[in-house]
Amino acid sequence: MILIAIFVFTVEITSTVVGQLLLKHAMEDSNTFGFSDRRVLIRFVAGVFGLTISFFLTIGLLQHFDLSFFYPIQGSTVVIITIAAVLFLREHLSMQLLVGSLLISAGTALVSLS
Amino acid sequence: MRHRLVQWLGNPWLQLALEALFVTASETCLKIGAAETTRVKGWEWTGLMALSSLWIWWGILFVILSFLCWIYVLKHIPLSIAFPLSNVVHVLVPLSCWFYLGEYISPRRWCGIGIVIIGLIVLAKPVAKIEEKL
Repeated sequence: MILIAIFVFTVEITSTVVGQLLLKHAMEDSNTFGFSDRRVLIRFVAGVFGLTISFFLTIGLLQHFDLSFFYPIQGSTVVIITIAAVLFLREHLSMQLLVGSLLISAGTALVSLS
Repeated sequence: MRHRLVQWLGNPWLQLALEALFVTASETCLKIGAAETTRVKGWEWTGLMALSSLWIWWGILFVILSFLCWIYVLKHIPLSIAFPLSNVVHVLVPLSCWFYLGEYISPRRWCGIGIVIIGLIVLAKPVAKIEEKL
């Protein structure tokens, strides 16, 4: 049961991160190619699809697990998305950005735990 | 005048702030709507009975508006900046619930809100650099 939960949780976080990355990529490309470009449309739809999957998996996980278990780990998506944006979208990462993201992540987890 | 308004609305930082406000409004409206419809009998397990509340429809509208703002933000602001900043909703939603719904905020939650605010202040310098480039 716990292995299934870990698997579902991993898929949920991955779909959130991938969804946001695809949406960002699509919106950046729309500046150059416009929304009628097939690649932009595919990335946009895939991004929305990823976020939709994440939404329903979140509800499924919340049905089986306490918020106190789920949300602190969910709060880590701030840091994961920041790092993923640096790795895959070639965005600039500064120490201040990383520290700010970590603080927001920790604060989010604390707010959700209460 | 109209050109100024369009220019002002086209500011991605304003859109990011609107996105956070719309998410806050949607969460609050959905909460009120869900509370109003707990006694409505029917397919409770689907959550569809909640659609009988006007608050739920306002919540859905605000979700759509927040998404439209978000995709506009993604066009102009790096994701590594925009996503952490969008987490200001974790400050706004508890405050909104406290103010409008009379919900209690525990000391631990106040600490969490404070840490998020500090994180947002730390992000201010990278944000200022992006603003210069924009």
